[in-house]
Amino acid sequence: MTSKEKIQQEIEQTLQCIDGVKRAEANPFLFTRIQARMAKKDSAWERTFSFISRPAIAMAIVVLVMAVNGWALLGSNSNNSVIGDTANVSELANEYNVVASVDNYDYENLTNE
Amino acid sequence: MINETELIEQLKQGDETAFKTIVEQWKDMVYNTILGIVQNETEAEDLAQDVFIKVFEKISTFKGDSKFSTWLYRIATTTALDHLRSKKRKKRFGFLQSLGGGDEKETIPDFHHPGVSLDNKERATVLFKAIESLPENQKTAYTLHKLEGLSYRDVSEVLNTTVSAVESLMSRANQNLRKELEEYYNKHYK
Repeated sequence: MTSKEKIQQEIEQTLQCIDGVKRAEANPFLFTRIQARMAKKDSAWERTFSFISRPAIAMAIVVLVMAVNGWALLGSNSNNSVIGDTANVSELANEYNVVASVDNYDYENLTNE
Repeated sequence: MINETELIEQLKQGDETAFKTIVEQWKDMVYNTILGIVQNETEAEDLAQDVFIKVFEKISTFKGDSKFSTWLYRIATTTALDHLRSKKRKKRFGFLQSLGGGDEKETIPDFHHPGVSLDNKERATVLFKAIESLPENQKTAYTLHKLEGLSYRDVSEVLNTTVSAVESLMSRANQNLRKELEEYYNKHYK
């Protein structure tokens, strides 16, 4: 028998080797496992997590967070006027009783209080 | 014993006993079909669970136009093929990562179908490796016909196609398998 014939014979035998193969049996505890999976799926946390982890939702959240950050950043930059800043600083200084220039007299007065 | 139609009606009402009966009655069929397609026992078990959860959730959409087993086969094959597609996507991503200096390429172990006799174990491993390389529809038709023993008519109902289309799929699958096996034996005979 030539090697080509031998190979053809091997191919035929291999193609026939799963004829009448027995059906593979599933795990006998499959139902119990399904029940456990379904119970887990029903929990509120699991539902929330699976909702958040959907690619579209996750991307939407990331975009929203970035948009809020961008808006906050732009918003704070546009309010940065010099007058507003000075007013804020003096307001803060008054609130915390901090004096911008302290000379000896003031200092004594302050400590005497 | 409750007949199939009553069982399905009970499941539509959310009856857990009916669900258990359905799982017990069809679990081997679902598992064997998925196993033939994904060729991995752990993944097949997880996917069989997914299939029955889908059955429980989607039973209201089953109108009874086809046999329940046909509907079940459709869910099982679709779930298995979806899984293979997502695995392929991950593999492609892994390949890109490895180009960027990521993890080493994983080696896929040989698949041994538990229903194959010991004498044919090695041959079957070679054949399953060749089946793995078949296009999706050929792989599905071949698995349903060879591993589940479905007739071409039954396969055509599952695939929602004609009997002649299944005949053509099977013929092309056999041609492709011969080509793969010839390559394998040419390599291993030299």
